Amino acid sequence: MSTLIQAQSLTKRYGSKLALDDVSFEVKKGAPVALVGPNGAGKTTLFSILCGYILPTHGQLTVLGHKPGSSELFGKLSALPQDAQLDPRFSIAHQLAFYGQLQGLSNKQSQIEALRVLDLVGLGEVAKQRSDDLSHGMRKRVTIAQALIGKPEIVMLDEATAGLDPIHAREVRELVATLSNEATFILSSHDLTELERLCGQVLHLNKGKLTEHQADSTDQQTQNFMTILLADNYSNVEQTIQSLNGVSRVYMSQAKEYVIEYQKSDNLFDIELLNFCHQQGWRYRQLVNGHTLENQIFTQEKV
Amino acid sequence: MTQIHPQRLLKIAQFELVRLFMTKRGLLAVAAFTICWLLVLRYPIGQAVSIISSPEMAELAKQVFGAIGLSKLLDWPEAELAMYWLIALYSFPCFCLFICSDQIVGDKQRGTLRFLTLRATRNEILLGRFLGQVLILAALMAVTLIATLAVMVFRDASLLMHGLSRSFIMLCYLIVAVMPFIALMALLNTFARSARLALVLAILFFSLGNIVIGILAWQIPALSVLDYIFPGVQLDQMAGQNSSLFSSLGIPLLQSAILLLVAQRIFVRSSL
Repeated sequence: MSTLIQAQSLTKRYGSKLALDDVSFEVKKGAPVALVGPNGAGKTTLFSILCGYILPTHGQLTVLGHKPGSSELFGKLSALPQDAQLDPRFSIAHQLAFYGQLQGLSNKQSQIEALRVLDLVGLGEVAKQRSDDLSHGMRKRVTIAQALIGKPEIVMLDEATAGLDPIHAREVRELVATLSNEATFILSSHDLTELERLCGQVLHLNKGKLTEHQADSTDQQTQNFMTILLADNYSNVEQTIQSLNGVSRVYMSQAKEYVIEYQKSDNLFDIELLNFCHQQGWRYRQLVNGHTLENQIFTQEKV
Repeated sequence: MTQIHPQRLLKIAQFELVRLFMTKRGLLAVAAFTICWLLVLRYPIGQAVSIISSPEMAELAKQVFGAIGLSKLLDWPEAELAMYWLIALYSFPCFCLFICSDQIVGDKQRGTLRFLTLRATRNEILLGRFLGQVLILAALMAVTLIATLAVMVFRDASLLMHGLSRSFIMLCYLIVAVMPFIALMALLNTFARSARLALVLAILFFSLGNIVIGILAWQIPALSVLDYIFPGVQLDQMAGQNSSLFSSLGIPLLQSAILLLVAQRIFVRSSL
């Protein structure tokens, strides 16, 4: 897999405040990458540096082998910056077509492209309207559409589904999943379930420091863990599961959710666990192989 | 960040024309401009001709205009163009401070500039917007000049051919004269937080700046050279057609280049 982004010792200071502290990571072509962290962790700062909106104080960064903001990246890297809006004086189609022309499309191609990307986000019918005439959610989807113009290799979406209703948020997720074969998405969101579903690599920022996780929980550390979300509050769950063969530890991670550490054996533990739940008369909602992304991150941020 | 691609530059400049002539706000500005100029054409330009043409008033005008160095203008057979020259030379620079007050600051505050910088270099955006404003001003000047020519031809059709060539030269001089004003607004746009603030800063620059340099020059006469930091320093000489080619074209072009260079240095380093 080819390397798309390579960051080494990135540091960004705002006066005495350290927004990014010696951050190094690599993003390879492939599945979407999640960028997570609490408010003020430095996510938007990192996004802004990757897009060339701000310069790092120290460190080196290359995107597709070039410096962020360089003209070689035009049309190859696109982004939905947080809170950025289109100009309310022009129609949406006119502005998107203009962006297409700047990316090298002809007048006619750019108009077709503007309508194509608006259709992708389900807003083909508002092409002639101005952004001020749209709701907050629609404006957000229009700005997602601008990030899809042309054939970008990297698409960075900062809080793409924030403020969207559940149906449209799901549509955006489906869109990202569909297009992730054509481009590598970098997504920042507070919805960890959403990121878990979409992403492979997870970049976790906390107080400017970066750690990496795997959303699919297939690494060695999570192989002996199961996370089960029960449908109801049942009594003595921890003690009861503890009696199951091979279980070394059980704890409640949050309401109705239990993390089970077990010894590896020839038996399939997940099947045993589900049978056990059935015998106890417990209904379950979800069984996760390993830790959920939320638990991984929560544990780390509490430390 | 430092490259300039001609096609993207032209697209950005072209988009500025659309901003003025195809948006509601832009059309309102054009409407207000048109009404003002209809009044100018009807009264100062129209009546100035009769003033200059009548022997008694001509004598008075000669004394007044001669005293302020405008006597050469009285020799023009195209009196309407002489009056146009005086009005346009001072009104367009002031007008352009208003219409060029939002070159990038609005887009910066709204975040639209973040979409643009993924598709064009900051140099292209800065220079493209500047060129766009120059094109807008050139278009507005050309329209008013054509209207003045029409008024003149209505009075005396034989003046048309000579008037046309004189108008073309005037247009070129006027375009160059407004360039440093547009460049100044481009510079102020790189750090002001709103178009209104950019305009206020421009007014302060001219008013307080002139007072400060006046005081400095009074103390140390050599410092009067600092007058050259102000766009329009050559306008008084240009008004009377007493200005050299360097003064009429060289100074404003040099000022524009320096102002744009400073704007570029600030803009490429600024956070979006």
